[in-house]
Amino acid sequence: MALNVKEKDCHTDTLKNISKENNLPVVALVGMPNSGKTTLFNTLTGSNFKTSNYPGATVEYSIGKLVNKYSFAAYIMDSPGIISLNPGSPDEDVTVDGIFNHPKFGMPDVVIVSCDATQLSRQLFLVKQVIDAGFKAIVALTMNDLLDKKELEVNVKKLSEILGTPVVKINSSTKQGIDELIKYSQELHLSDKSPDFKSSIHKPAIPSIDDVAKMYDYTEATEREVIEHKNNKLDLDEINKKSFHSLSRTPDKNSLKLDKVFLHPLWGIIIFIISMGIIFTSIFWIAQPMMDLIDAGFSNLSALVSDSLPADTWYNSLITNGIINGFGSVMIFVPQIVILFILLGLLEDTGYLARAAMLIDKPLSKFGLNGRSFIPMLSGYACAIPAMMAARTISNRRERFLTIMIIPLMSCSARLPVYAMLLAFVVPPDKPWIAGIGLGALYLFSLISGAVTAGIISKFKKTEEKSTFMLELPPYRMPVFRHIFKNTYYKALVYVKQAGPIIILFSLLLWALTYFPNVDPVIPAEKTAGMTDEQISRVIESERLNTSYAATVGKNVFEPVLKPLGWDWRIGVSLISAFAAREIFVSAMAITFNITESEDDEDNFQQSILSSMKDAKSPDGTKPLFTTASTIALIIYFMFAMQCLSTVAVARKETGSWKIPLMQIGLYTVMAYVLAFVTYRGLNLLGVQ
Amino acid sequence: MIQPEISENIKSVADMKTGDTAFITSVGDDCIDVHCHCLRLMELGFTPGQEVSVVAKSPFKDPVAVSVRGTIIALRKSEAECIKIN
Repeated sequence: MALNVKEKDCHTDTLKNISKENNLPVVALVGMPNSGKTTLFNTLTGSNFKTSNYPGATVEYSIGKLVNKYSFAAYIMDSPGIISLNPGSPDEDVTVDGIFNHPKFGMPDVVIVSCDATQLSRQLFLVKQVIDAGFKAIVALTMNDLLDKKELEVNVKKLSEILGTPVVKINSSTKQGIDELIKYSQELHLSDKSPDFKSSIHKPAIPSIDDVAKMYDYTEATEREVIEHKNNKLDLDEINKKSFHSLSRTPDKNSLKLDKVFLHPLWGIIIFIISMGIIFTSIFWIAQPMMDLIDAGFSNLSALVSDSLPADTWYNSLITNGIINGFGSVMIFVPQIVILFILLGLLEDTGYLARAAMLIDKPLSKFGLNGRSFIPMLSGYACAIPAMMAARTISNRRERFLTIMIIPLMSCSARLPVYAMLLAFVVPPDKPWIAGIGLGALYLFSLISGAVTAGIISKFKKTEEKSTFMLELPPYRMPVFRHIFKNTYYKALVYVKQAGPIIILFSLLLWALTYFPNVDPVIPAEKTAGMTDEQISRVIESERLNTSYAATVGKNVFEPVLKPLGWDWRIGVSLISAFAAREIFVSAMAITFNITESEDDEDNFQQSILSSMKDAKSPDGTKPLFTTASTIALIIYFMFAMQCLSTVAVARKETGSWKIPLMQIGLYTVMAYVLAFVTYRGLNLLGVQ
Repeated sequence: MIQPEISENIKSVADMKTGDTAFITSVGDDCIDVHCHCLRLMELGFTPGQEVSVVAKSPFKDPVAVSVRGTIIALRKSEAECIKIN
């Protein structure tokens, strides 16, 4: 709860300067999870919306303008789904506060409450709370088609009379009722323009258990009044007498049937494993050709620019090695992020995601995690950045932070090229299958180390906040692809905007460190005698790097630290380079060990890097630098080290403070170093050099 | 406060088998923990008098999927224990 104090301060700060563009009215969308609120938001705003975090917290709001074809110019604000106006967690606290007084948009002029018609007695709870709070409210009845299947319908006129607010049946896919909804919103907004009505709006006090029971008596009575049989207009009491169960309170029949399979003790698990396997493999294999294409595109662009600019100038190097490569390493992850969010969107929209979380909750709870941690952890195998973003679905703050904490340990795809290179060095060339097994083991080991780390942290960090699960399993539905693609597009855009600048900045910094101060190294004439121009330029490049700031720092700072692990300053410089993105380690190794083959020719690049690794000598010059032991130690280091600045930045943003990212840097660097040391020395003791 | 030997005889949703149907008698009567989630369970629709049925259980028997008021809600066993049935 400590966070809320800060949050409230933040409110009062922004309260003074509510600056809305053109003073447009604000229509807020409020509703329970799965009540069709987000679909309605998408319908109302079309494509002009923006998703932003609530300042200082991880609660996500979407703000959009009402589509132009309606004559009503207004902002539409989507808030996260809530059960009631009584917050049950710090995040819900922020959400509820945001409905009453959003730091940027203030108090909404009109509130549209989405209400699932198939569970009227339950959903009217929030509707009633919003009305009682004093808002100008409109009820948008959703899921009428599902109610229709039970041959029931809501008497909108009656419900509107009982609640004293307009009620509109809507269908977001056929646009039925949308015009009417907007008409009512406009009328309601214009009805009382005095700012006074807002002063009477108040947050409800935390109810007692009896208050909740009384509220439900009211919603049940209302439900009985307004639900009618479609054809012969019987009232609900009559309907219930005829059917065995209370018909209006039975879940969707198809969902019940499907759950017999999807939540079956055996088939449920098999389907779970298969569907997660599909996600996991498509992140890799479907994304790979696209990633290769992006990679090739940037390499070609770099070569093209390099050829058209004067050779051996600092700006040629800056543009090709610094800027273009920096952009390339941002864009390379976009395919994986896009695929992941499309698949997640499909799982979520169909209703399966909640079931998957339920199936896996028990084993994960043993490690202090939650069923909802599973998808972020799985996503972590693609990239920690979307994974941390996916952790927003975990309602318990502690469990979300713990999930974010261990995500960097999941073996993300940026480690793949590093592992591939290092494993190729260790494994005999005639037995490539060993590398395959090794890679599989690394993936499994990263899952185990993540779970163990989470378990240890949750043991040490006791909490007052009790872990809860309580997750609604929504009816199975056909997904709306339009919305999934739109959502995915925005998620990818957020990644490029957030991680992009840091990665590019760091590539530039790194470029400067490896290029300056000896820009024009003087090579004695006798050294270059008889060399071709190309060979001379290679010697110059190598000399420039070996006398650069990076090399100076590497030799004086890193070498003493890395020597116990069997590494030298050149590996140290490559590790620093890999902070921009782990896979940069491979190209940084190529530069520091001075490989002159072009990266485009895959085999040659791999061969030349392997042969120069074999040739590299340890700092004292007596034995090879890359031995089986020191290379395996390097793999172990990469498994744990927080080698990714973008992840640090996103962890900061998602948790709202520096605590978690700093803990990650500290803890994982120490773990990586110690475990690499133990591995190296241990292997030496076992006779493996 | 209910005596332990008596409360052992009171059944909760956690004791129900898949397919069982029952009516809620009370929610959170014997909860002493201030941080318990009984209020949230009530708000979710688990109110006395409501009919509930267990739709499915996860392969580890926990959490359980419970149908209430036209929807299905997955609950951990520890949460389901707060919901007493007849």
